[in-house]
Amino acid sequence: MSSLIVFLVVFPLVVGGLLLGVRNGKLRNVIVVLAGLVVAGASVVTAVTFGNGNAIFFGLPNGLTLGQGLLAAEIAIGLFVVVVSIQHRRILAPILVLSQVAISVYLELSGKMPELDPGRLFWFDRLAMVMVLIIGIVGTLICIHSLGYMRDYHRSSPLIKGRRTVFFCLLFVFLGAMFGLVVSNYLPLMLIFWEMTTLCSFLLIGYTRTKETIGYAFNALNMNMLGGLGFSIAILLLVNGNQSLDLATLTSGPASAALLPALALLCLAGLTKAAQMPFSSWLLGAMYAPSPTSALLHSSTMVKAGVFLLLRLSPAIAGSNLGTLVAFVGMLTFLFVSLVGVTEQNTKKVLAYSTIGSLGLIVGCAGLGSPELIWVGVMIIIFHAVAKGLLFLVVGTIENRLYSKDMENFDTLLSRLPLVSALALTGIAGMFIAPFGVVVAKWTAIRAFLEVPGWQGAALLVIMAFGSSLTIFYWGKLLIKVLSMRSVSEYELSVEKRITRFEWLAEITLAVGVIGVAAFIGVISEQVVGPQALATFKGASQSFLHVEPVMLATMIVAMLFLPLLALWVSRQKHFDMSDFYAAGRPVTSTGVMGAALGGARTVTLRNYYLEGVVNGGLVFRAGTLVCGVLLAALLTVGMVAR
Amino acid sequence: MNLNPVVYGVLFIFLAPVFGGLLAGIDRITSARMQSRVGPPLLQPFYDLGKLLQKDARQVNPIAEPLLIGHLGLMAATGAMLLGGTDLIFVAFVFALAALFLVLAAGSVNSPYSFAGAERELIVVLASEPFFILMLAAICKVTGESSYGGVLGSAVMVAPKLPGVLLAFMFVATIKLRKSPFDISTSHHAHQELVSGLTSDMSGRLLGYVEMAHWYESAILAAFVVLFFNWSVPLGLVAFAIAYGAEVLVDNSTSRAKWQLVLRSTWAVTLLLVGGNVLALFLIK
Repeated sequence: MSSLIVFLVVFPLVVGGLLLGVRNGKLRNVIVVLAGLVVAGASVVTAVTFGNGNAIFFGLPNGLTLGQGLLAAEIAIGLFVVVVSIQHRRILAPILVLSQVAISVYLELSGKMPELDPGRLFWFDRLAMVMVLIIGIVGTLICIHSLGYMRDYHRSSPLIKGRRTVFFCLLFVFLGAMFGLVVSNYLPLMLIFWEMTTLCSFLLIGYTRTKETIGYAFNALNMNMLGGLGFSIAILLLVNGNQSLDLATLTSGPASAALLPALALLCLAGLTKAAQMPFSSWLLGAMYAPSPTSALLHSSTMVKAGVFLLLRLSPAIAGSNLGTLVAFVGMLTFLFVSLVGVTEQNTKKVLAYSTIGSLGLIVGCAGLGSPELIWVGVMIIIFHAVAKGLLFLVVGTIENRLYSKDMENFDTLLSRLPLVSALALTGIAGMFIAPFGVVVAKWTAIRAFLEVPGWQGAALLVIMAFGSSLTIFYWGKLLIKVLSMRSVSEYELSVEKRITRFEWLAEITLAVGVIGVAAFIGVISEQVVGPQALATFKGASQSFLHVEPVMLATMIVAMLFLPLLALWVSRQKHFDMSDFYAAGRPVTSTGVMGAALGGARTVTLRNYYLEGVVNGGLVFRAGTLVCGVLLAALLTVGMVAR
Repeated sequence: MNLNPVVYGVLFIFLAPVFGGLLAGIDRITSARMQSRVGPPLLQPFYDLGKLLQKDARQVNPIAEPLLIGHLGLMAATGAMLLGGTDLIFVAFVFALAALFLVLAAGSVNSPYSFAGAERELIVVLASEPFFILMLAAICKVTGESSYGGVLGSAVMVAPKLPGVLLAFMFVATIKLRKSPFDISTSHHAHQELVSGLTSDMSGRLLGYVEMAHWYESAILAAFVVLFFNWSVPLGLVAFAIAYGAEVLVDNSTSRAKWQLVLRSTWAVTLLLVGGNVLALFLIK
């Protein structure tokens, strides 16, 4: 096991280093595909080796030790950030990172660091297994997708200087860091991987090196470094309080009052990484990075590190003020971003709001903490990783074909890009229509909220009812745009044929994955997520998924309905699409309509964005303020009183 | 009668259209009397439906029809699941999904009238869905049950504990029954600004599907009202009849509101009446 884990961490790092020197496109394609297959294979082998056993702990193989490696890595990260910040004349990031380095150096010199148990560096259980599989399989597919996407990306934006060697290097370095993060048990080790993912995200957001994206990149860096600093201070507090730095030990049950300050700071780190309010702005800025980056870092994996940590902390914080505050930050973030999402026109940003909202739900579950809610949280992680990853990739493909990310420009997509539409519909169905996606998770969450006593239970229900209705609105708008038709020219139809094989491979595999995850929800629940939830809270054995055959059938049909419909419809030719009602004016099948005073006008149909009722900017600021106040409470009251 | 709930679910699929159609017939007669007309025969909606199903449908694209069949199927499934004993909160999600399919069918047409109707219907879903989730969650909370049969068999009377929710139901039902002033997405009167809104480009059997789905929807709403009067089903049906009569009266005496007002007022009612009621439920227990 330990050799496999070390391989998963080190191999992508080596490949990343190698890719930095590969300028030949064909060679890069070969390396990325092969290395991707190795990574995916290794992650599956790891999961199979683990089987369905209980949590295991282990150290480095063959008597290897960390030595001063952690400190050296910390200093290297610090130096790198300082150099980049000086280049761009930024001041906040170096302060944050140097404070972290100072803490690490202080701890090392003080000699207070507790004796490290070399056999407990890593922690592998079903949650880690889920994460490893997501990173290995979804991550690999996204890397392969990038091969095609980045080629077209640079063709369509010739002014951006291509730095694809760096891009692919970063993707693989990120995979390695992410593997390390999800299996770490020793907190200082986890911190290093944590900071590595922050750095990868920073560099990928700033990939195009325009003034705008550099600004967003530093915003992301600052917020995540703030979380990282919280993580460092948490370690400092634990060491000073003679506490263990072993995550599993810390979270084995309800935390004592002495542990609360450190746990609150770890929660801060989790909230920043999961882009919860008041830190949501960095994830929106991150949408300016190339789409595969959004798919990999900013929806499927890296932001999940934040909720992963909170799910780990859940048994320690559940039932305390700290846990309740964390839960409300998450749930209110879900409500606020869903409300902002209905006013957003940029499809990638809509997906970002939806991502932050889904993460908010998981944060809510982690903060409240019960076997049911852990089940919900892990379920959302799985569905969201596959479905949202797919959606980001599809939007990337559409963007390269239609040169737009604007939802309003996606209309009649079904006629123009029929296969892509089918894939998009699969992703959307996986996210919300259906079945066993997030809907079942939301349903189970509502059931659990009914049991939460006092005003909190009522508040959670109201938040959930409004939040999930709002998501119907923006998904509905996107569906309306995708599911509309007009006559298209031969040229327009040929556009879809220019999509690269890499993109098809990744997107179709992920679409199959979405359907597969939905179809096997029972197995996933019984074998993986359910036992994990019970192990986390040491609950009595129970079944979490109460599915009846009728529900199963209805939901599977509903989920497959739209993608299959899209595939079928794209072959139907005999419809007169000029036949629609336009108050008696003449119309053509491409949507041109005779104007009132002669001449012709193209019909443009625009979605509603609830202007005049919901002010997106205002709601976002209000959410930031409210959650900011809760965060302040979390870092004061949450630290002191249980 | 202690029948298997699945039987009720199956019965719903067959009997709900009869119920909905008769209700539509009574509605038309009542409306006519309010306007000093005689009105059509009671069975007129069935004659209309028969004729619609026989007619050729003029279709402008190939997706509208499958989407409408999906709409009809999901609406029937919602009712069947509701009476068949499926978890009530899950039913709320399927109910919204059913409504969404109608939106998609109307939105797929390039007609500005149909599209505007679709968008407004989506707003209507957005306005009413929080209510239905909260209503069913509150009923589960009060009775401690999770299925339709469970609530009917519960010793706890629902309505006295949920007066705010029941009041809000009257408000939100106006939306679902497509009654003025909340009939923003469609209209039976061609003189209004949307012509006939989301059904502008539906004809023949397609319009028939919409009509039947609406009958199912009426029956689902009636079933919801019965949940409030869980100690006596006849009383529940009487309550529904009174409520429906009130809706017809409101329909005939108001003009259509703007969508902004519909959204704001429904949310406010849901938040204040339902939210307040739910809060009381959690605090007092």
